[in-house]
Amino acid sequence: MENNEMQNAVVAQPTFEEQAHQYSSFRYAVGAVLAFFGFSSKTHRASKKRQKLVGDIFTYIILLFGTFLMVYPFWWMLAGSFADTSMGSQALLESMIWWPTNSTFDAGFTKGEFYYNYEELFVRGFETSVYAKGFSYWRALGNNLIYSIVPVVVGVITSASAAFSFAKIQWIGRNKVFFFLLAAIMVPGPSIMTAQYAMYSSFGMLNALVLIVPGLFGSIMTAFFIRQFLFGLPTSIIEAAKIDGAGYFRIFCGFILPLAMPAIMAQGLLSFMGCWNNYMGSFIFIPNNSEWINLPHAMYIMDTGYKNNQGPVIAASVICVLPVIILFACFQKLIIGSLMLTGSKE
Amino acid sequence: MEENITATADEQAVEAVVPVATEETLPPKKKRKPINQQKLQDNLWGWTFCVPLLFGTILFVYVALVMALLLSFTNYSSFAGNVWDYLGKMFGGNDAVFKFDGQYDPLHWYRLVFTNETYSTAVTQEEHVAINEMGAYLFNTVFYMIGIPIGMILSMFFAVCMSRDIKGGNVFRVLYYIPCVASTISIVYTFRIMFSTAGVFNQMFGSQTPWIQLPDTGALRWGDGDPFWRQGLINKLVIIIMSVWKGLGGTIILYVAGLSGVNAATKEAAQIDGANGWTIFWKVTMPDLYPTIFYNIVTSVIGGMQIYAEPELFFATTTSGGPNVCTSGYVSLIWWYGIKGGGSGAGRASQGAAYGMVLAVIIFFMTLFQFWLDSRKKD
Repeated sequence: MENNEMQNAVVAQPTFEEQAHQYSSFRYAVGAVLAFFGFSSKTHRASKKRQKLVGDIFTYIILLFGTFLMVYPFWWMLAGSFADTSMGSQALLESMIWWPTNSTFDAGFTKGEFYYNYEELFVRGFETSVYAKGFSYWRALGNNLIYSIVPVVVGVITSASAAFSFAKIQWIGRNKVFFFLLAAIMVPGPSIMTAQYAMYSSFGMLNALVLIVPGLFGSIMTAFFIRQFLFGLPTSIIEAAKIDGAGYFRIFCGFILPLAMPAIMAQGLLSFMGCWNNYMGSFIFIPNNSEWINLPHAMYIMDTGYKNNQGPVIAASVICVLPVIILFACFQKLIIGSLMLTGSKE
Repeated sequence: MEENITATADEQAVEAVVPVATEETLPPKKKRKPINQQKLQDNLWGWTFCVPLLFGTILFVYVALVMALLLSFTNYSSFAGNVWDYLGKMFGGNDAVFKFDGQYDPLHWYRLVFTNETYSTAVTQEEHVAINEMGAYLFNTVFYMIGIPIGMILSMFFAVCMSRDIKGGNVFRVLYYIPCVASTISIVYTFRIMFSTAGVFNQMFGSQTPWIQLPDTGALRWGDGDPFWRQGLINKLVIIIMSVWKGLGGTIILYVAGLSGVNAATKEAAQIDGANGWTIFWKVTMPDLYPTIFYNIVTSVIGGMQIYAEPELFFATTTSGGPNVCTSGYVSLIWWYGIKGGGSGAGRASQGAAYGMVLAVIIFFMTLFQFWLDSRKKD
């Protein structure tokens, strides 16, 4: 009896195709087209596979468009660094979209090789400027390397040691000290800028030292992230090492540094990039006429002498951006992985 | 006061070391010695390992903070003499440091900071309009924060796209992060030409919008008829576009990380219950993402209040080399008065410190307000 009723009910319901006949042929055609593009309507139901395919295609289009927006300025920068702007033709760079109409690759360009703008930058870039006699972009590049290698390497190790002490050693006042340090993040850098200036000035540090010395003591955020990473390491390793008679210093050098190397590397690379791009630190604390200015600061000074010949300035931009991008390309997995970890922790 | 802080830290160090040190000097008659030895090692090495970071933080952050607070009540200027001597004078009962024009007036700079007025650069003297300086620069700073919600929505959109199971999602993540690692000044010098009146951007949209007044026309003017807030709006937009473009990648990575942590089982359950993609996104994904979003807003607001380099580099400075009232952020005031002394070359560290303290208080209360909103939402 029940069975019979159910069968009746099924028969009574019109099938999908039957239902479709209620619509005009135009509506039917539209439905077919929509279904082809992955949209279900009353006449046609799009298959799951088709829906996914169409969604993927749309996603790719959107993401590729976004990628274009992200990468295009860098392409523009590279192309602009080969523009022949030495005649003071600012309009050349302004009108450039893909490639300059007068490039240093052209046959008509007789001033020098295709790397003319780079030559100008490195050889004559600071001749016209009133600042820093005998200064060249090479010097700025060297300064920047010192500023972004020495403090970062030492600072990451001091941060890691602090992180080790906070994560794996029990000592009196540990939590108090940790919160004391965390509270320092709340202090905005610019607020204490002038006091820092006065302090550095009293220490006689307003030269290269100002970009090196504070970094040597490590950074709180770096220590914080390495600490998070160290929490994931089993404490039994340290216990075992202790039983075997290793001291904490030995444990730190022999176990913690190698084991936490991914986190340390990622944080080190991120701080390297931060130091490399540190325009404000140099601009605030180092006088314009000092030979210890860093790369972004040197770019700023050079720009003042090249207002109508921006080719070399764009070349300087390329030189400033390229090392960081290459570094990022080499270590992208490590860096992105570390950032993802940060994101999921928060 | 800075001595106090170091003193407390020293006391803690003494507390930590002294009891165990005495135990060490005791003759080895107790049987529990191995445990004590372990504790001694723990305390000794624990402190030793974090001493560099602690020292750096105390000296370069806390001492500097206390120093800035103290300096903001004095008339220390042009970084003359040793600042420590100066602070010593202050505690030595010498109230000359608080005197301005012979008057005892510790709050001099704070009053100036809140009431100082700046004048428009209109052509004729009669047309000059006065405006509260701090208000103007704070307006610019807050205006740039329009970029925060725009960036959040865009990056959420891209992050959702990247989290579909498509091939090469990781590649996109890397490509979108490139602007984040590039140096600001290079980007600004590129965008400055791309956004010029004949530049790529205007060519693309066939417009003649003066995104950036060129350096040879001098600094941006205001007071030529229009009210202050309408001046330079277009120019500020360039900064917003650039900072959204530059910051997108970092936010996307945070969101992708957050999206991968969203509970897949709940999502599937909602799907079986017949919820469509939109509903699932708002009812399942968003609540799980909330901590990430909150973290993001807090950090972006704190960072946004400290905007400095972009407007300074993008637009020509005034003829005296100072910040531009139509575009510069609040921090440029600290730099201009604190380090450059308002063009006089003799930096007024005290005035800069007063500006800095006001900024610190503003940021502190903004953060507090956000946490208050957060706690209210949970109830």
